[in-house]
Parts: sequence; C-alpha cells; structure tokens
Amino acid sequence: MKNLKLSALLITASLSLILASCHKDKDVNTAPIRITDGFYILNQGGLNANNSSLSAYSFTSKQVTPDIFRSANNRGLGDTGNDIEIYGAKMYIVVNVSSTIEVVDPHTAKSIKQIKLFNDTTAREPRDVAFYKGNAYVTSYDGTVAVIDTASLTVTKYITVGRNPEQLVVANDKIYVANSGGLDYPNYDNTVSVIDPVSGTVTKTLTVVINPQNITADANGNVYVLSAGNYTSIPSSLAIIDDNADVIKSQTNFDASTFTVVGNNGYFITSLGKVGIYNVTTQSVSNAAFVSDGTVITAPFAITANASTGEVFVTDAKNYTSDGQVFVFDKTGKQEYVITVGINPGKIALINK
Amino acid sequence: MAIILQYFLKHIWHKSKCLLLILLLPSQLFAQKKDTTKNLKEVKVSSSIPKLQGVTPSQSISSSDFDRYSALTVADAIRDFAGVNIKDYGGIGGIKTVSVRGFGANHTAILYDGVEINDAENGQIDLGKLNLNGVQQITLYNAQPDNILTPARSFASASVIAIKTIHPNLTADKPYQILLGLNGGSFGLLNPYLQWQQRLSNTWSFVVNSYLENANGHYKYKTNGDGTDTTQTRTNTDVSDQEVDGALYWAKNDSNKFNLHINYYNSDRGLPGAVIYYNPFSDERLWNRDVFLQSGYEHTWDDGIHLLLNTKLSQEYTHYTDKYFLNNSGGLNDQYTQREAYQSVALAYHLTSNWETSYAADVSFSKLDANLYNYAYPSRFTLLNALASKLTLNKWLFQGNLLNTYVTEQVRTGKPTPAETVFSPTLMVSFQPFNPNLQLRAFYKDSFREPTFDEQYYFAINNISRNIKPEYAKQYDLGITYRKAFSNWLDYVSFSIDGYYNMVTNKIVAIPNQNPVIASIINLGKVRIEGADISLKTQTKVSNGWREMLSVNYTYQYAVDVTNPNDSYYKQQIPYTPKNTLALNAGVDYNQMGLYYNQVLSSSRYFLSNSNSANYINGYGTADLSFIYKLTVGNKPLVLSAHADNLFNENYMIVRSFPMPGRSFLLSFQITI
Repeated sequence: MKNLKLSALLITASLSLILASCHKDKDVNTAPIRITDGFYILNQGGLNANNSSLSAYSFTSKQVTPDIFRSANNRGLGDTGNDIEIYGAKMYIVVNVSSTIEVVDPHTAKSIKQIKLFNDTTAREPRDVAFYKGNAYVTSYDGTVAVIDTASLTVTKYITVGRNPEQLVVANDKIYVANSGGLDYPNYDNTVSVIDPVSGTVTKTLTVVINPQNITADANGNVYVLSAGNYTSIPSSLAIIDDNADVIKSQTNFDASTFTVVGNNGYFITSLGKVGIYNVTTQSVSNAAFVSDGTVITAPFAITANASTGEVFVTDAKNYTSDGQVFVFDKTGKQEYVITVGINPGKIALINK
Repeated sequence: MAIILQYFLKHIWHKSKCLLLILLLPSQLFAQKKDTTKNLKEVKVSSSIPKLQGVTPSQSISSSDFDRYSALTVADAIRDFAGVNIKDYGGIGGIKTVSVRGFGANHTAILYDGVEINDAENGQIDLGKLNLNGVQQITLYNAQPDNILTPARSFASASVIAIKTIHPNLTADKPYQILLGLNGGSFGLLNPYLQWQQRLSNTWSFVVNSYLENANGHYKYKTNGDGTDTTQTRTNTDVSDQEVDGALYWAKNDSNKFNLHINYYNSDRGLPGAVIYYNPFSDERLWNRDVFLQSGYEHTWDDGIHLLLNTKLSQEYTHYTDKYFLNNSGGLNDQYTQREAYQSVALAYHLTSNWETSYAADVSFSKLDANLYNYAYPSRFTLLNALASKLTLNKWLFQGNLLNTYVTEQVRTGKPTPAETVFSPTLMVSFQPFNPNLQLRAFYKDSFREPTFDEQYYFAINNISRNIKPEYAKQYDLGITYRKAFSNWLDYVSFSIDGYYNMVTNKIVAIPNQNPVIASIINLGKVRIEGADISLKTQTKVSNGWREMLSVNYTYQYAVDVTNPNDSYYKQQIPYTPKNTLALNAGVDYNQMGLYYNQVLSSSRYFLSNSNSANYINGYGTADLSFIYKLTVGNKPLVLSAHADNLFNENYMIVRSFPMPGRSFLLSFQITI
C-alpha cells in the first residue's frame, strides 16, 4: 500500500514534467534548393560552438535559405568559417578552427570535397583564399600559403610566408599576402609577402605598418594593404603598393577596420561604424558617410559591392551572439532591403558577379 | 506532439518503469518475508525529520546522503536541489559551475565554514574542484542564511552555498578516529582518501583530510552534426589532484571556541576543449596550486554579546598552456597569481528576548598578477558594513539588513575602475498561521556582483578603464513550507513551494570585436526571471528492516532577455536555462543495505540568445543507481558502495560542444578505525 502511494507520487511528478516540457519542433529543410542568382553569406558563428553556417539569398525568390550547407550535406560547416569565394564551377569555404576547406557546388552548396589542412596534429587554421590560373592559394595561421590544384583538389605545395597571414590578393600575376602576426600580440608582424605563382616562392617581402590584415587590389596596378596597428599608439594605416615595381608608394593613417576594392571604389567601415567609399582613381575618400537614409547598423562587420549595379552589402553582427543581418543599399546609400542571416556574418560571395 | 511523445518514451517512460520496479521490488520481498520469517531484529534509527525551513528557502544535504546521489564533489551533491542549474563541461576534470534561480554563477557565494571562497579573477567557483572529503553538510540558501551573526559577505550575494566541514566529536575513551577510503572505476579513476580526527585534550582537537585523485578521464561520446555518427573517445582529459586540509579546533565551551584551517590543493589536468568538427586535436592544460589559511573565533559573553571573527589568507596560482596556439613562442603560456587577505568582525546582541540585532564589517584586499603583456596588475580593496535585525512577534518573524559596500581599485598600468559605494537592503518575513508545521514566507533582496578582474582588465589594451558598473540583482520570493511527522507507517513529509520574480539589470555582457584583442565588455543587459521551486521529501518508518524514501525537486524558470524590444532575442529565454527541471531521488534501505535511484530531467535549452533551431540543445534525462552496503568487520564499520551513473547511457550535452560521459561505474570502499 505504502509503495503504491509513493509510486503514484513518482508518476505524478514525471507526468507534470512531461506536460511542462513541451518544446517546438525543429525546422528541418529537406527539399534540395538551387540558387542561381543572389549571394551567399558565410556566418562565422561563435568560437567553439561549431555553428558556422552558410545562408543563401535568391534575388528571384527574395528568400533566405538558412544553413544551406547543413541541409545539402547533412553536416555542419564546423567552427568559424572565415572566407568564401567562387572560382569556376566550384565554391571554396575556408573554415578556420575546423581547419578545412569545404569545396562545394556554387548553386546547391553540395559538398564536392573537404580538404583538411593539418601539419601532423597541428591544425594550420586557414584564413583566406585567392585564385590564380587553376590554383587556389590559402593562407593559414601557421605561416603558410597552401597551393591547391582546383582540378584534383589536392594540396601541391606549402609556401612559407610571414606570421599569421590573413588576407591575400592576386595582382599583376603575383600573389600578395598580408602577414599580421596577430597571435603574437604585442609583437605583430609588419610584412607583405610577394609570391611568384610560377616558381611558388616568395620573391620579395615588403614592410608596412604593423598588423596588416586586409589586402585588396584595383585594376590600375595598385595593391591596398590595411594594417590595424596596435589599437593604442599606432593607428590603422593604409599602404598602397605599386604592383609593377613592388614598392610602397604611400602609407597613410586610415580609420577603417575593413577595406575592399570593387571596380573603382574601395568600400570600408570606420572605427565608429560608418560606411565609407574611397575612390581608387583619385586615391581619396569620396564619401565618408555612404548610408544616406539614416539606416542604423548596430555592428557593421563585413562589406562588399556588386560591380555591375553599384549595390553595397553591409553585414551587421548585432551583439555578436545573436542572428545577424545584411543591409543592401543602392549606389546612393538608400536601403533597398534587409535580410536576417546567421551569427557573425563575416563574408559575402555574389553569384554571377 | 510527436516530439513530446518521443520525449516521453525516450526520457521518462522506461525510466519511470524501472523506478517503479525498484520501488515495488522490496514490497514483494517484504510480503513474502512476512509469511515465512519471524520478526527481524529491530534496528535503532534516530529520527531524521528535517527541520522546518527558515525565513529564507534552504535545502540541505549531509554526508550520510552523499552516497545516495552518487556524489564525489559539491557539484554532484547539490545538482538535485530546486532552482539549481549546474553548467557542466563534462568528465572528471570538466569545470562545473552553478546558477541559482537564473542568475549567473557570480551571484552565488560559496562559503567554506562560514568564509567565502572568493575569486576576484573570474568570480566563478569550479564546484567540481570541491571534493566532498571532509564535508559534513552543504546547504543552499536563497537570499542568505537566516542566522544574522555572520560575516557581511554572507549578506552580499543573491544566494549562498554553505559548506560545513566535519568537526571532531570524540571522547577521551577513544581519542581518535581514522577513516580510510578508496573510490575507483570508470575514467581510470583512483581516488584514495584519508580522514584523521584526533582529540588532543579537553579543549584541543584536530582533523586532517586528504586525498589523491588520478584519472585518465577518457570517455566515449557521439558527435552530432559532423556527419560521422560514430562513437569517439574524449582525450586530453587526464586529472591528477591532491588536497590536504588540516583543521585545528579549540573549544573551552560552546560559547568560546576557535578553529584554524590550512588547505593545500594541487591539480594538473588536461582540458579536452570543445569538440571541434573535423579537428580532433587539443593540448590545453591547466595547473592549479591553491593555498589558504582560515581561522574563526566565536565568543558569547555573559551579558549576551556574541562575537564572531573570521580571517582568511589565500593564494591561487593558475597556469594555462595551449601548445597548438599558433604564435611565435610555440603556444600560449599564461600564469596568474591571485592573493587575498580577508578579515571579518561580527557582533550580535539580543536587545530583548525576541529581538536580536547584529553588525558585521568585512575588509578584503585582492590582487591579481599575470604574465600578460601590459597587464594592469589590479588590486581591489572592499569594505562591507552590514546592519541586521531579527524580530519575533508571536507567529511572525521579521528580519532585515542593510549592506553597504565600498570598492576601490588600483592598477599598475592604465586606469582603475572608479570607486563605488552601493547600499543593498534585504527584507524578510515569515508567518506561521495555524501551527508550527506550516510557514508562509516572503523576502525581497537587493544584491550585486562586482565586475571581475577579467572583465575589467583582461586585454584591456587601450589602457582606458572599461568602467564597468556592478551587475544588480533584485529578488522577490513568496513561499510556503510545510512539514509533518506521522504516527503511522509514514515517518514524515516535508514540502515547500516558492514562487519568485527576479530582475538583473546592468548585466555585464562581453561584446567581442572583429579582433579578439579589442573585445569590449559593457553593462548592457536586462534579464527578467519568473520561476518556481517545489520540493517534496518523505520517508517511511523502518519496518522489519525496510525503509523507503523519496525526494522530488522541480524547478520552473522563465528567464528572458528584456534589454531592448528591438533585439531579435527580446523576451526569449536566456542561454543555458532550461524551463523545466525535475530531480528525483528514491531509495530503499533494508537493514544495512540501501538501493537508490537518482533521476535528473532537464528540458531543452538554447546556447545563444536566439531561441531558434540553430541554437537548440536537446533536453536530457540521466539516471544513476547506487547500492550501499554497511557492515561491521571486527567492530570496524565498513561501507561498500557501487554506483552506475548515467545508467541508460544517455548521449547528451549541457554546454554546446562539450559532450557528457555515457554510462560509468564507481566502486567505493570505506573503513572507520
């Protein structure tokens, strides 16, 4: 008898929990999706959370497909996707902490191959990818540039560059690598490695202001290197390299956290979160406050533009732990639309750009 | 609905069936026995009816019950408590911190024999580091302990976990007691321990507690989401710990006593890190070497003045390495030394027989050194003054206190946080309307937590003070507590239910920048918590050697971010906070044997601010089974126990990317000489 009473109590207690623990069904996308126009947003996610994701936006349907990599491949991207580029019929996603290059179909995000970048048991931690004549060049925090044959998708060579290289860019048949030394705070690196892709060797090392991270090139023979400085006594600074002579033409203090050249404009975000435009022909800031309609972007994170339409895409990381957004502006700085994406949207890749 | 059913089936049904089986089994045996055997020898059992809870909600567990919860650490012992949410990174060496009633870990003070274990660096105490060896009792108080003669620090947190160590209680006939024990089992665990109690004279005695703990820490887990669906082994999980605690006691009588603790803790462990998809390598290590000296003196004079003095000196050395960090010097190598000096004076006096008032003043000086570039080397001076009063009027009890906190800091480089003065009031009332077994209670409490040294100064490389304000917590609680002893087969029932409403303002939030070096930390958040804690505890009387017991705790927490209506996570559940938690412990004793079943059920959680599918973490249910056998061999009491933890091998995680262990076993042996 007494046991029955206790058992009844147990059952009641268990039932009360079940009734109270109702939870929502997870959204699961099962239908295969094909994106033929629009753009991808690579969301970094949070550190150690394995929640880097790929969002896709279609101009035609005006719909965002969240986490398309997972729905296409039934697995996640991993930890901290850092760069995404389309080259030929393949898209390359560089995942930093997972230390992988995910090669996928640029229309479906279906995996073609996962390339792991490890030096024995040490993750190389890849950061950025650029392409030249059938090869992908990938910088890694271990001070190397991996050369990947885009046909066989195998690493053919590792080129040693400076410390903790960040971005790299191809200009005038050469590859320029920004060596940040960011993990050696406060002893940053201050060099740009120039690689000859034919010999696969570093042919010249240029000195710039410490902590170079962004590197981008225009069509007029200029390579732009944005150094972050040390955040205290040394401010951020922009170096312009003549890609013929490989010399520094100028080095000027420049308030920006990111700098990307598309067509005739360099698009940047200032330390106060303003979007600015730099004219590469006149080599001066042409518009220090691009957003003209009062749109508020909480934490501008990444910026790019559509060369043909002049539209500007600015990502907003919000509080860096919640879903971000992408604001799309016309060339006059008026907001066209805004979409919600994943956590820390750090890079945009336009399809058919 | 299908999911609910699935949840029901997976997490509850077969487990509760099993539970029923356990509970029904003895009664079948019992029934058979009745028919076939004569009365068994009666076993003397002292009454264990719990005291009615005081004016603030409290939950206790004592050393005799640790085995029932398969507990080796403070974290294991308190995980069943209502309102408690343990954040567990998994495994033997995995860090375990506690959140009470939706507040962050920094809002809960851990008292060790009345003196706070303070951590100025990050404010979070790893309860997995606190071994139960030598612990007599652990009590969780919401708001604060209801005793008003206490150090001012006891008034300063949203809740208090009070750890009481074993005090010697020996006679001249047998002036010593030695306890030897060994725990071992899964994870390659080998944990011998020793407790030596010695009576030196009528007034002097000592207790020495020490243990060694070694484990490889390996366990199997399954990763979800990287497409593998294979079972892997968690590595870089080795643990090697040693602790010695020596306590010297002097007591002339109950109103004039002194104690002195010396504690040394050394630990060397691998940190397995987050399970990163596609990258299985981790080589982070953590060394801790902590020393503290703590003393207490208590004196009651004939005129009724009651004095309590507490002193503590501590040093905590932490060394962290990560050889896979890709810098030029071959990895990270960070060393921190934290030192603190603390003194508390408390005085209490009964103005009338039903009105007691007290005053406490605590001073502390904390300092943190680190081998970081351009580090601030902060030191903090804190002065707390608390005035408290307790008045009993018939069936009413009124208690209140006002705490004043003054904090000032100094730094070697950069700018310190400006000095701060804060007043925090607490008001409590209880009422016994019909009989002393039923009590209604309510409290209001204001408290706050200081920003930690890490929040203020870690990589604050701009040399500009982050100027973080304290994070405030307001609590309102309304509850009923009831207890009844029975004269029939039932021994007692105790029950309590509390509803609460909490607000966190100026919540300290870290906002990382694109470059981690310039992470900034600001007072931004606002959190509202509405919740309920329900506890039920009952046991039967011993009958023919049989006794059955049950305790059930249920927690409801609706804890939402109310910072800004424009945020996408406005009014969504804060991370790592399940809405529903149920903990159940049921068992039977038969003479010297006991079989206990412990079940913890937690509903789903989100690991980030948006309550969406990308941030979803499944609910889980874990069950532990313990068997205890107490015997006497040549007049030496012996305790043997066997435990199966996570009996049904549930694959789950509490913290994203940190899988918890599956089924594991623990065998324990203990002899008292």
